[in-house]
Amino acid sequence: MKNKQYKLDIIPGIVLAVFSIAYLSMIPSIQTFTGLGSTPLTNHFIPYLWGGVLLFLSLWIIVRGLRKRKKYLAEGGKIEKTSLKAILMEKREVVASFIALGLYVGLMGVIGFLITTVVYLFVQILILTPREKWKKNYVPAAITAVVAGVVLFFIFRYVLNVLLPVGILSVFGL
Amino acid sequence: MILQGLTEVLQPMTIILIAIGTVVGIVFGSIPGLTATMAIVMFLPVTYSMTASEGISMLMALYIGGISGGLISAILLNIPGTPSSVATCFDGKPLADKGEAGKALGTGVVFSFIGTIIGIGLLMVLAPALCDFALKFQAYEYCALTVFSLSMVIALTGHDMPKGLISAVLGALLATVGLAPIDSKPRFTFGLYQLNNGFALVVLLIGLFAIAEVMSYAETVRQNQDFTIRSNVKIKGVGFTFKEFVGQIRNAIVSALIGVGIGILPGIGGGVSCMISYTVSKNTSKHRELYGTGIMDGVVASEAANNGTIGGAMIPLLSLGIPGDAATAMLLGGLQVHNVAPGPLIYEKSGNVVYAIFFAMVLSAIFMMLFMLLGMRFFVSVLKVPKNYLLPVVVVLCAIGAIGNANMLFDTYCMVGFGLMSYLLIKSKVPTVPMILGFILGPTFEQNLRRVSQLTSSDPFWNHPIFCVLIIATVFVVIFSVRSNLKDAKRAEQAELEAMQKAGSDE
Repeated sequence: MKNKQYKLDIIPGIVLAVFSIAYLSMIPSIQTFTGLGSTPLTNHFIPYLWGGVLLFLSLWIIVRGLRKRKKYLAEGGKIEKTSLKAILMEKREVVASFIALGLYVGLMGVIGFLITTVVYLFVQILILTPREKWKKNYVPAAITAVVAGVVLFFIFRYVLNVLLPVGILSVFGL
Repeated sequence: MILQGLTEVLQPMTIILIAIGTVVGIVFGSIPGLTATMAIVMFLPVTYSMTASEGISMLMALYIGGISGGLISAILLNIPGTPSSVATCFDGKPLADKGEAGKALGTGVVFSFIGTIIGIGLLMVLAPALCDFALKFQAYEYCALTVFSLSMVIALTGHDMPKGLISAVLGALLATVGLAPIDSKPRFTFGLYQLNNGFALVVLLIGLFAIAEVMSYAETVRQNQDFTIRSNVKIKGVGFTFKEFVGQIRNAIVSALIGVGIGILPGIGGGVSCMISYTVSKNTSKHRELYGTGIMDGVVASEAANNGTIGGAMIPLLSLGIPGDAATAMLLGGLQVHNVAPGPLIYEKSGNVVYAIFFAMVLSAIFMMLFMLLGMRFFVSVLKVPKNYLLPVVVVLCAIGAIGNANMLFDTYCMVGFGLMSYLLIKSKVPTVPMILGFILGPTFEQNLRRVSQLTSSDPFWNHPIFCVLIIATVFVVIFSVRSNLKDAKRAEQAELEAMQKAGSDE
């Protein structure tokens, strides 16, 4: 139902409001320059402006969301509680993709680009493949992961000179 | 400089790069869910070690191919390959259903070419003129220009104004990280030296567009998507007669001009221009009742306009450093990587690169037409490439792009962070395009506003007519957009009420 969209106002509004308050509270500790040639508006002004505007806008959408909610309830709508766990389950491929991506970039520095890329590609391909088709895709996914990983590593590291981390493979003199 | 630009493009290596770029662009454009922006993101790391002319030429080819390729799946599958081809579906698909897929594709390709060329022509004429004009700009004028551009973005992107504004402000806020302009004091760096230069535009764009796109594909894994192509495609020549071509010239020129106009406005791209031009073409046509039943006019209007947008979007990018849409924002990142600073001085500082861009665009347009007419069968078969294999490779290329930008692993962490932020924002129905504009314009605004704050006593604002005009224009834009926003909201509310009443009477 369309009216349920109040949630899309209230929740982001609260998150953004908290974020802007945190941002605003950090501004006073920024060093300012007041010597010769300094500008009347210091480097605090613009952060205060953006932070303030963001806080105002997030309060605006919170109020708008609350109004929508009131209207929705007045029209006989029921508030259904969906647990965070249910949402995460519903979006499990997205959650898994973000975890895989996070681990990928997090471990790349230590383990190295080549190994993490091959593993990541394999895992990510399977995440994006429907569960019932996994069996058929193990081999093609593994081949794609190894070939793409090796080709990309050597092209970018040695032909295009991008400093990709070598990690533990450095013992082989790569 | 013109000759230098031409010789740089006519190097065998550059020609090959442009050809590759065009083909890859068309492939990306034709596959639904992959866009011209993503093609540019993917190839940015490849261009790091090239010369500026080679790199930018390739990125331009990707852009032109990417916008043009969208028509293939729009016509054959009724799914626009890129948002720019939404309106191509309206008449392209019915035309294909009539058994004239070849005619629809041929029309789309040829008029994409014509649209691109008209756009490039206007770019060549208007960009230097705008540069000359912008040379007079000082702190006051830049300050007003950034405010004006931001107000346009908010007025033009979407119906939900507060959320559009949130996006733009969030972008500006992200841009405050790093050393402050003028006095170079660190802000919001949390003591991390990696943040001293702030977030890189390229890294933000990768997170916003590429990572978020992969995640929205991940959402659809359990829905079985079927991209089988039913019609068998045969193109003979261009698929239409010379007489039919002549009949479409006026439509094509008007549509391309609309495309260029929309392209110049910041923040909106081909997706909007094809819709507007389709509507204009329909409303001014003598046989408007035939639109949507499968006539050439509809395909021409959409494709000439979205390709015209390319040239249009390049005008403010080159002369003011303000990108017209997401893909040109990516190109701005590409120019920065190659130390080419867009702005009024670009002709003086990097004139050869500018002319190389022009010639590369013309060459890409020619390649695009040739490849698409001769190799349609190949591009149609590419539609079958499984995306569950393609997208992970795209993510790896994005990571390489982020690392290579400043040779820092730190940027990949930012990339993931921005990807997560973008995904959550999209889920909350906050548009992400205004954010890029906020991110790019925020620092310009701050720097010039602070300069202005120094100048007000010695040089009052009424000495700056351009400033006054821009500020007045901004006020008008804001009033107009607030009014139309309120109207939209009212209309939506009324429609909802009517729907409810109808539902009530049905019961």
